[in-house]
Amino acid sequence: MSHDTPTDSPSTAPGDFPERTDILALPPPELRYRRALEIGPAIKRLFAARPIIWALIVRQVRATYSQQVLGLAWALMTPLAQMLVFTVLLNRVDNKTGIDTHGIPKQLWLYIGLVAWSFFSSGVASGGTSLIANPLLNKIYAPREVFPIAQIATSMIDATASAMLLPILMIITAHGISVTALWAPIPLLVLVGFATAIAVIVSAITVYARDLRSGLPLLLQLGMFLPGVLYPVEKVIPASGRWLYTAIAPVGSVVGELRNCMLLNRAPDPTTMGIAAASTAVWLFFTFLFFKRLETGFADVS
Amino acid sequence: MSPDGTVEIDHVWKRFRADRGRRLFRDHVSRAQQRLTGNSAAADWRWVLRDVDFKITQGEAVGIMGINGAGKSTLLKMISGVMYPHSGRIRVAGRIGALLEVSSGIHPELTGRENINIFGTLLGLSRAQVNSKYDEIVAFAEIESAVNRQIKFYSSGMKTRLGFSIAAFLEPDVLVVDEVLAVGDQIFQQKCLDRMRVVLQSGVTLLLVSHDLASMGATATRGLWLHDGTLRGDGPIEQVLTSYRRDIEGRAAESSTAHGDVGVSDFQVSRPDGMAIETNEPCRLEFKLDSAKDRILEIFVGVTQGPATPIFLLSKAYEVQEGSTPFRVDIPRLPLPVGDFHVWVAVSDRLSRQPLTPWQPIAPLLVGGHRSLDPGIRGVVRLSPVFVEAQWETL
Repeated sequence: MSHDTPTDSPSTAPGDFPERTDILALPPPELRYRRALEIGPAIKRLFAARPIIWALIVRQVRATYSQQVLGLAWALMTPLAQMLVFTVLLNRVDNKTGIDTHGIPKQLWLYIGLVAWSFFSSGVASGGTSLIANPLLNKIYAPREVFPIAQIATSMIDATASAMLLPILMIITAHGISVTALWAPIPLLVLVGFATAIAVIVSAITVYARDLRSGLPLLLQLGMFLPGVLYPVEKVIPASGRWLYTAIAPVGSVVGELRNCMLLNRAPDPTTMGIAAASTAVWLFFTFLFFKRLETGFADVS
Repeated sequence: MSPDGTVEIDHVWKRFRADRGRRLFRDHVSRAQQRLTGNSAAADWRWVLRDVDFKITQGEAVGIMGINGAGKSTLLKMISGVMYPHSGRIRVAGRIGALLEVSSGIHPELTGRENINIFGTLLGLSRAQVNSKYDEIVAFAEIESAVNRQIKFYSSGMKTRLGFSIAAFLEPDVLVVDEVLAVGDQIFQQKCLDRMRVVLQSGVTLLLVSHDLASMGATATRGLWLHDGTLRGDGPIEQVLTSYRRDIEGRAAESSTAHGDVGVSDFQVSRPDGMAIETNEPCRLEFKLDSAKDRILEIFVGVTQGPATPIFLLSKAYEVQEGSTPFRVDIPRLPLPVGDFHVWVAVSDRLSRQPLTPWQPIAPLLVGGHRSLDPGIRGVVRLSPVFVEAQWETL
């Protein structure tokens, strides 16, 4: 058999490459690679990646709706169904809940909160898991935050489709839109900013702790009952603690302000919006920093 | 600044967690405990690249070889910028285009047209660039009749062709290619090599990883050999390939442990006049076959270079008695150029057609002299290194 015959390689010929034995066991510490974290250039690179974000959005939206008979109409289904269920429920237990809708039809009142929350929750859910099991992660060279950001943008498109139902609801319930709705872009902007911050940080953590993937839907389900989303913040949080609530998690207060300006003819409260906007800016800054710090390791684990 | 197309790998180290996949709560607790008690967790890491150091200048075509797990793909990922080193620096000047398992980036729900537009943008082309190359990409991928069909209804060949075509028209400064030539039918493979040749003539730096050593030898001019995470060889492609092939042969010989009903022993390669073995000279193979009983044997003798696929294969049927039978095979003119080859042997039962020994490497065959192969055409793969004597004259 082959064991009986000499099968050793012939003696080392000139130009042969012997196995390396001169390699250290560990790299010398001064060679350690640490990426310099510079916020300015990082933001510039993100800005330069706009076409990539756009392509990711198109890819996602086209792929989701390409073979569905109803297409984007599905975006209406979740908030619409939830609204119907909640209206029926609230009508049954109306006296006990004591939610004062200020004479606004409940359907309208709930629908705005539900659309806003389903944007937030689907954006965070899909953005938060956008880095794991993503075949594109190792293929395209772009700042990694384009993935959660593109997911947020996709959710915005869905939410816009859902919002198309609002005028119809207003006609049905014979309740017009307030003039103060012109203020709506401000709370909307803050809402999108906060959702982006959460999606970005969740996506980074999920890469390392997959637990969050299972826990996230639960958290987002519970989050719907945050003060402000379906009922006014004032209902449960005393005036003295309201600024703290807004500063920690602006989402509830912002949805409340959005509803107020859309339906109650109330311009957004400058203090609340100021705190919410400042808090969102801080959230965005630190989540971005955190994300960029972890970014170099994503490809190793994901 | 180095010119576009330069790649500098400066003492790069990379490690992965050895215990990936087992990340339960109790593992985290025990790791935290170890950290508290001062037991360093050094054993948790596996080094996949150690002190890899080389420079590639603009326009070079470099083939990276190495067995599975040697660190080739990790190195390519770091060069293309999707992964970061643990230690050392990587500098790439200019735009990188990567062909790494491209087809998985294509979305099955979208049509061919949509995928070209979207995937082209994702790989860094502008809208205008995608539009101007769209027709070329479709023609190259040969999917004219299917551009409006969803990818999930494509054949797998069409899918890989599309992926390769999109990436092939990127016009990068550094083109990183990982094992994509193995896809598609022969006509498409030839087309890919043609395309690669065009790309190379335009001065693009090429980094090629492949287990198809013949096509690597035909495409690259410089070879890098990664072995167990270290850079073992760096030099002209033929030289590195020869050394790498010899190493693989050795490994194949070590790993062939199967025992059959027939033993092969006392194998010897020689030249009848006692001189060194040379091209176009006689060559004699001698060996003994030990059989446990009387039977008719079909004996196969082949010569390989690198993988187990023989350059030529000889066979003959013999009736043998129980015990040891000596054999002699005389080849009057050995049609091999200068180089390292290996002799492989297999024996099967003539009547039952059952193999009695596996197809196994037996002994090295070193061909000396001065007759090497004529230089090849860049990008044209020679199927077998056979030496053919020829007379040239002008008429």
